[in-house]
Amino acid sequence: MSSRLLNNIAAVNLPRQFGLLEKAIGVIGRSSTVHSLHVRGSLAAGTADRLSDLDFIVAVHDPSFGPFIRIIDTLMSAELGALLPGWRDTIVARMGGLGYVFLVPHEGVLQQIDLYAVPVSRLDTVLARTKAMPVYQADGERFQRHSQQVDWLINSTLDRPYTTRELLVEILVLGHMIHKRIARGQRYVAYAEMFALHTAAKNLIKAALAPGSAFYGWYQLGEEIGTTPIGRQCLAGLDRLISGNPIPQSGDLTAALNIVLELAERAAPDAVAGLRPAIAAYRYYLEQM
Amino acid sequence: MTSAPIAPAALPTDVAVLSRLEPGLVERLRHEALTVPQDWALEYGEYQNGGWHTLSLLNDSGDPRDVTIRDCARVRATTLLEQMPAVSELLTGLGVRVMWARLARLDAGAFLWEHRDYGELSGAERHRLHVPLVSNTSAYLVLGGTKVHMSVGRVWRLTPTSPHGVCNRFGPSRIHLIIDCYADEALRKLDHGEAPEPGDAELLPSPDQAQIDEVVATATGLADLGYDHAAETALLELFYQFALPEGRAYDLISDMYTELHRADDAKRWRSKKDVMLGRS
Repeated sequence: MSSRLLNNIAAVNLPRQFGLLEKAIGVIGRSSTVHSLHVRGSLAAGTADRLSDLDFIVAVHDPSFGPFIRIIDTLMSAELGALLPGWRDTIVARMGGLGYVFLVPHEGVLQQIDLYAVPVSRLDTVLARTKAMPVYQADGERFQRHSQQVDWLINSTLDRPYTTRELLVEILVLGHMIHKRIARGQRYVAYAEMFALHTAAKNLIKAALAPGSAFYGWYQLGEEIGTTPIGRQCLAGLDRLISGNPIPQSGDLTAALNIVLELAERAAPDAVAGLRPAIAAYRYYLEQM
Repeated sequence: MTSAPIAPAALPTDVAVLSRLEPGLVERLRHEALTVPQDWALEYGEYQNGGWHTLSLLNDSGDPRDVTIRDCARVRATTLLEQMPAVSELLTGLGVRVMWARLARLDAGAFLWEHRDYGELSGAERHRLHVPLVSNTSAYLVLGGTKVHMSVGRVWRLTPTSPHGVCNRFGPSRIHLIIDCYADEALRKLDHGEAPEPGDAELLPSPDQAQIDEVVATATGLADLGYDHAAETALLELFYQFALPEGRAYDLISDMYTELHRADDAKRWRSKKDVMLGRS
């Protein structure tokens, strides 16, 4: 009796993410091309808190891997209300698949879903490298044959340079991550992710104003970009951005996002215009966190 | 989901701004709407994707969860309205002959698909008043290829017998007070002829065939993988992104299923189009 009552209490105190987890499993597992779903990260390790993201591995039968990647943004938008297209995750290790990060409003709060799509032929490799727990397993045979076409798709996707729109999405996703680090007092990770945000802002300027750049990273920005009024204005914005606190507090993050959006508006106005309603909602949710 | 460029426009003839509300009153209405309602009812499931909830304030049963609107000879306050004095005062003050009054909550990511209202009711002329209490810029009505954002602080009139749809793409939840009322002198007096403001209405762009083809290809890819609902949703959402001819989004779904040799599904969506647009 007491155990049942305790279960009832546990059920009403489940973190918000669990409702979204259940919904996401129901949505993604609806296709017969999905072989299995696994959670990883803090949910699998038992260290999740109210800010934790949902970390998924989606194993897709190899012949359908390409078609699945092509529809993933629309699926997440149509079924889970993802705010932005998925950010092609460059933080997650290369394990044989493709990682995407989505921001999804759920019960008035912005939740992060990290989705790592992997062809079934590579699933064992991925599971050997990460702690994961199965949450869905389809009936039927496991298709194991390895496909070079899938390898080509994964490698060419990973090697393709980001567009300005993708970089803007990256910046917004990083902003959300940094907000969580600040709330948790994770100073070192906040520092690292703030640097990643600075780098993404620099990459956005380069992608917009020097798309054919032959220079590496932060080299020769002044010479390559600062030769025109718009280039100098963008670099002035970048200068203000990197002059902020290296270990950000909440106000620093807000200021950084303001600067980035201002310089993005200047360097890549179409990218900003296409995402404007989503950005307005993003800023609302960030303020509510 | 991303946004296509849009151009400012005049309000469609079926939408008008009637009058302004005092900011203090709006705050009190909003406070009640955010704190009193509980146990919202989900109705009209076939018209929406699951995020539109209502509670009745005035109807003929007094039950706030009785939310399927119909002609009422005489309305009375529901048990919900009895707990909302500011809303009650507003409804009385409007002075119109009410058919039904509701609170409607449209959650983040929710859509009411393209449809016509009042088809099942008697032929009496009626209109719908909207009093937005909580809103955001991604929540809007589409009517005749025009996107209308009903902003807070004003009383709006909608004549919902033309095809229209509503969305709240990104949230937070939108809450409107909705009053269906009969056309009479009191309603005419309520119209102070408020001028629309910049940003109230914008023309949606006309799609080129390549844009439609791209969405159809993605939707077909979703359906091929077994994600039928997402495929249908992707095509229905075109109504909110582009100025489309009436019923075009439904036709695209039927056509998709025809291409996939799923005749029964194609037929089901042709029937659904007729129901949604009041043709059956």
